[in-house]
Amino acid sequence: MNPETVLKTNPMLAWREIDGSIVIISPEHSMVHELNPTASFVWKRVDGRRTADEIAEQLAAEFDVTRESALADVHELVESLVANQLVSALELAEVKAHV
Amino acid sequence: MSRTTHVMDDLILRTVERHLPFSVHLDLTYRCNERCVHCYLDHEDYGEMTTEEVKRVLDELAEAGTLFLTLSGGEIFLRQDFFELLEYARALHFDVSLKTNALLITPERARRLKELGVRKIQVSIYSADPEIHDGITMVPGSLRRSIEAMRLVKSLGLVATIACPLMKQNLTAYRSVLLLAEELDVPYVLDLTITPMMDGNHSTVNHRVKAQDLLPVLRDSKLNPKLRISPMASVSSDSAVSSGMPLPAESDDLPCSAGHNTCYISPYGEVFPCVQLPVAAGNVRQKKFEDIWYRSPEMRRVEAIRESQLTHCGNCSIRIYCERCPGLALMEGGDLMGAYERACEMAEMNARLAGAESPVSAFHAFQAASGSLSSRGLRPIATGLISIAPMRTV
Repeated sequence: MNPETVLKTNPMLAWREIDGSIVIISPEHSMVHELNPTASFVWKRVDGRRTADEIAEQLAAEFDVTRESALADVHELVESLVANQLVSALELAEVKAHV
Repeated sequence: MSRTTHVMDDLILRTVERHLPFSVHLDLTYRCNERCVHCYLDHEDYGEMTTEEVKRVLDELAEAGTLFLTLSGGEIFLRQDFFELLEYARALHFDVSLKTNALLITPERARRLKELGVRKIQVSIYSADPEIHDGITMVPGSLRRSIEAMRLVKSLGLVATIACPLMKQNLTAYRSVLLLAEELDVPYVLDLTITPMMDGNHSTVNHRVKAQDLLPVLRDSKLNPKLRISPMASVSSDSAVSSGMPLPAESDDLPCSAGHNTCYISPYGEVFPCVQLPVAAGNVRQKKFEDIWYRSPEMRRVEAIRESQLTHCGNCSIRIYCERCPGLALMEGGDLMGAYERACEMAEMNARLAGAESPVSAFHAFQAASGSLSSRGLRPIATGLISIAPMRTV
């Protein structure tokens, strides 16, 4: 994943933090997803401004994991979120063009 | 069981255990552009919450952990600020469902609903025969307009459902509603419950079909899930009115989700465990929602009720065939913990249809033993800890 890739949640989703975990409803597909605490940490930082690498840095600082491990985990998670249409990955240039 | 069902069951259980208000039904107005003969509402406006008040409630619900939000009425599209509120709710990431008669859904409004990510739109349809439907709504042309609106929202990819409360006027028309649902390719709910009005007036109950006359419907295995259950199975049913959550089998000692992980808020800000359970727990105009949800004595009392504590129903042998509703137990039987005639009648009929020989509810057995069978429906109101409260605080 390009380090300049910015992550944005799908605006059609409904979601809430329930008991420490993010629960996501996808109205278009009638699907419910529940994220584990680490994935929930990442989800709460997907704001259309941060890149996956920036979120991984925060994950490494918050949890007792190396930067490399956090990067690998976040990239794997983001790929899964993108594949499930929960998150879209935008190039930084694309984001700047819309500002 | 699908993975989605499993995840939802698990979430429902956890939110019940943690007493989180997972699903909230918010009526934005009691005003309506139809005058349905069986409606339980007073359509006058006695001072609905303002736009800013509703937004504050939505903020508080989001903070409290509410995910599922049902916006209903009255007719929601009569609120001039409806789309402002919907947009606000979606910005707070609620999963939004709507209950409407759809008369005011225009192509532009339908597109806006789609853009804003509304998950489901429930429309009330009483018959595929305009004479019957329009006779119930008292609005000529209402069936045609509701169906047109359903076709419109469906064409945009929105999920629409039909809700059809069955009453004397449309009992024989239920098959036509099923055919219409098939033609429109939408799910449907047939609801046999006609409730008293929220202010305690029982005149609407006159429209209710006698239990005996419901036999053709109850015999229809396509409609009646109770015909397909084994004696050990757990059942749940949908309602056209309430927005409670079906509880998983593990919660079988709870009467329903009301007050456990669901509640109702009126257009005047009053909080109740359910739209059909008129136990006023507080008003969001005076207190924060969380104070009412977690600390009001009324909500705590309802949350504490367990099936095993119910006066007669707790040890009734045909309980699995029963649709007992705590709100109706209070409104019709006068006791939140008690039995009521309609539920017992329906349970006995369902049990008989499922093959039980001479089924008798525990309540009827008690009445027979105490020689009071002839006074069914005239029982003195029990002195429970909770009394019927008026719906409005005006």
